[in-house]
Amino acid sequence: MSTREDTKRVELLQGTLDLLILRTLLRGPAHGYAIAKAIEFNSDDVLQVEQGSLYPALHRLIKRRWISAEEGASENNRRAKFYRLTPKGRRQLALETSKWDKLARAIARILQPAE
Amino acid sequence: MSRRKRMLENLDADVRDHIERETQDNIAGGMSPEEARRRAFLKFGNVSRVREDTRNVWTFVWLEQILLDLRFALRMLRKSPGFTAVAILTLALGIGANTAIFSIVDGVILRPLPYPQSDRIVYFGWLDKQQLIPDLSIPELAFIRDHATNFTAVAGFQGYADKELSQGPSKRWVTAAFITDGFFETLGVSPQLGHPFARQFTRPGGANAAVLTDSLWRSVFASDPNIIGRQIILDNEPYTVTGVLPPGFEYTQPADVFVSLHFDNDLGNNGLNTDVIGRLKPGVSLSAAQAEARLVGSQFFAQASAEQRQGAGVLHLDRYQDYLASGHRSTLLILLSAVGLLLLIACANVASLLLARATSRQKEISIRLALGAGPRRLLQQFLAEGLILGITGAAAGLAAAVSSLHIFVSAIPWDLPLMDRIALDARVLFFTTAVALAASVIFGLASFFQTRKLDLNSTLKEGHAVAGTRRTRTTLLNALVIGEIAISLMLALGAGLLVKTLYNLYQVNLGFNPDHLVLMHTPFRSNMSDAKIWNFERQALARIQSIPGVQSPAIVSVAPLHGQGNVPAQRDGHPENSLSTEYRAISADYFATMGIPILRGRAFQQTDFTSSAPVAIINETLARDWWSGQNPIGDRVVIGEYKGRQYINIPQPALQVIGVVADVKGRLLDRPAPDMVYVPASQALQMNRSSDWIIRTKASMGIAAALRKAITDISPDQRITDLQPMSQLIGTAVAQPSFLALLMGSFGALALLLTLGGVYGLLSFQIAQRTHEIGVRIALGATRRQIWRLVIGRAAKVAAIGVLIGLFAAFGLTRLMASLLFSVQPIDPLVFASVPILVLFVALLAAYIPARRAMRVDPMVALRHE
Repeated sequence: MSTREDTKRVELLQGTLDLLILRTLLRGPAHGYAIAKAIEFNSDDVLQVEQGSLYPALHRLIKRRWISAEEGASENNRRAKFYRLTPKGRRQLALETSKWDKLARAIARILQPAE
Repeated sequence: MSRRKRMLENLDADVRDHIERETQDNIAGGMSPEEARRRAFLKFGNVSRVREDTRNVWTFVWLEQILLDLRFALRMLRKSPGFTAVAILTLALGIGANTAIFSIVDGVILRPLPYPQSDRIVYFGWLDKQQLIPDLSIPELAFIRDHATNFTAVAGFQGYADKELSQGPSKRWVTAAFITDGFFETLGVSPQLGHPFARQFTRPGGANAAVLTDSLWRSVFASDPNIIGRQIILDNEPYTVTGVLPPGFEYTQPADVFVSLHFDNDLGNNGLNTDVIGRLKPGVSLSAAQAEARLVGSQFFAQASAEQRQGAGVLHLDRYQDYLASGHRSTLLILLSAVGLLLLIACANVASLLLARATSRQKEISIRLALGAGPRRLLQQFLAEGLILGITGAAAGLAAAVSSLHIFVSAIPWDLPLMDRIALDARVLFFTTAVALAASVIFGLASFFQTRKLDLNSTLKEGHAVAGTRRTRTTLLNALVIGEIAISLMLALGAGLLVKTLYNLYQVNLGFNPDHLVLMHTPFRSNMSDAKIWNFERQALARIQSIPGVQSPAIVSVAPLHGQGNVPAQRDGHPENSLSTEYRAISADYFATMGIPILRGRAFQQTDFTSSAPVAIINETLARDWWSGQNPIGDRVVIGEYKGRQYINIPQPALQVIGVVADVKGRLLDRPAPDMVYVPASQALQMNRSSDWIIRTKASMGIAAALRKAITDISPDQRITDLQPMSQLIGTAVAQPSFLALLMGSFGALALLLTLGGVYGLLSFQIAQRTHEIGVRIALGATRRQIWRLVIGRAAKVAAIGVLIGLFAAFGLTRLMASLLFSVQPIDPLVFASVPILVLFVALLAAYIPARRAMRVDPMVALRHE
């Protein structure tokens, strides 16, 4: 992944990208570029996805049948592949989210024990 | 269409589309089109890597990569054909030798015997003071058969003999094996025709029975389906055919016919002379059977008469295959370890070649690392290269082993049981493959580890290794070469010990003068009487004497190194002086012909052959054992008596000792001369039913044809075998140590050759790397001599360390060879002093050319090059 010196931006942990994609698709099907933009936008540009790495991740999720892909037309009628969350992916997202929450809380406690 | 294909179909379009959108967005944000596109690409990252990673999600990545790696490795290897050829040849040598030796180990030790459930077959022996006496007596066999309950069958086998098979007028010699009933049941083999013979055929004085092998039945009896129940004539005696064995049946040694062994209570059946085998009942464990055998053994002792009590210790049984292999196990394992060590050297050599070659590949590897190849990927690449070398080497080695195994096995001078089975089978293939894979992994790892500390920047910039890298790589190389030296020293030491053994064997005092002696063997038919035999021999001796060129002919029942024939014997009236001594029936001129000196008394004279006064001549050893320095002349010995008991049905007269002769060797060259009693052939018991003829010729003349004629003129159908110069017999006696010495000598020589290459490679590599440094040294005033000393000193240091390690290991290891050595200590001072010097010399020889190259470094060229 990228090695920028911008301290405000955080490199994505491996596997986190999967979670973010699933979360993004919870709001409805989207094509690749839209997913990348959504992740950037929703994290206030803090999370920097090297956009290319999105594609292996998408395919990994398809392979696991957590998302599906279908050909469709985008807003301005261009051909695009749309990705959609499957029921299995929805379950997985719930599972991963709760896991992530626990982890985040645990880390937060360790980092700010006084409070 | 597979999911994978469908998903990957538009990947490129997706990626392009993605970047296009980003570009549009950037333009919309106010950038110039070029800048917008540049930023979009930057943000997207490495397009080809994304493509590869995505593809990898869907593929068995490793498989595809391995194919790629293999293809690349092939290309790399083809680019340096010299290196590849040397590496593959080295490996082929190591793997080929291992495959050949392993096939023998496999055939003798590992592969089950060719009988159904062969692990249920056991053999019996007496275990006395840790020593196993693997033969039993007939009474012992009969007792075990009747009393042990854990066996479906117990049977005896009493060796082989040639018999004359006559069919009307036509006669031929066949090899007969003597067996008891239950033999085929024990092996689990049923005849294809008829059945094995019943117990009645083994009773004393009973009728004879025969079971034919398939090949004899086909060749001689024209596959006669009505052969069962018919009689065949062997040595003029009738044998009833009860069965024909299935094709492919084999026992320890080839035989044509299996005949019934009679439980006669005569000399032949009273000794420990029968192999006894049994088949365990289903469900009976080996240990349970062993426990019962101990019990049955002690029961036998409790009830047996003193003369039936031949064995001593406890009755022991073990798997038959273990027994068959036991005599060869240590030799084979030593050979296997030797070729194993040779292979290690070969691997070390190839690995050091690979390491040295890596210099020229540093740039390539650095580029690959810079382009993002991870360590795993790099390791895979090296493993692929190793794999190609390993597999190609193994294939070449296997091909060599396949084409030469037959010749190799037939050159083996010792009798391996079931030798025909030695062949390349799945197990051998598996072994070779395993060896090849192990070698491949070693090569892969060796190449890999030296890239670990590669400094990308400096390598890419300068195309030269930085100091740190150089040191690591050289350490590994040094270690490999030291290992090679150590191992080849061990192999050379082993070879040295065996060569010295061989030398000692040739120096052994035979006790007779073998020059210009010709040996001939005549087996007699079992129905030929002793008197008739002597009569024939006397006439033939006279005829041979008249052959031009013959100095003197003689007869001995068994010539030295040609076999054995022992009898129980006792000094007359001294039961404490009882021994199993060698017994030789000779003609009057035997001692003169052989050149055996008479030490006391006299030799036999013609009168001893015509008179009935029983006389004997004893050898030095027996005189010492029984008379301990006193004069034995005039005293008496009794053949067939042992500790006051008679072992021969016909009472034997006491023989008056009329002379003492110098010792000659018995059957074995490497054993001290056995106690020996000589008697005139006219008075002798014809136990062996054959005679050896010793003919001293005036010069080395071809008299074979004349000899044959002399015999057949008297007895036209008398068989003659083993007609050869005595020197050839001695050659046969040392064939096994010669073969071992040759084999180990070749391994040692190969090891040294490989080591020579290894040391040369190491130093060449180091000097190539240090050209600059050497140039500086010379520029600063170092003399050529100092440079020379620097290089030679380095070689000497590496060699000395290797030699020390090798010596240290050899001190422990050569002890394992003790059983193969003859009057050589496992740590023989001469060998242990000279071989290390040889190895050091080889190492310095290897350093010669690199040292000269270093001396000639031109400082200007070396420095400018930088």
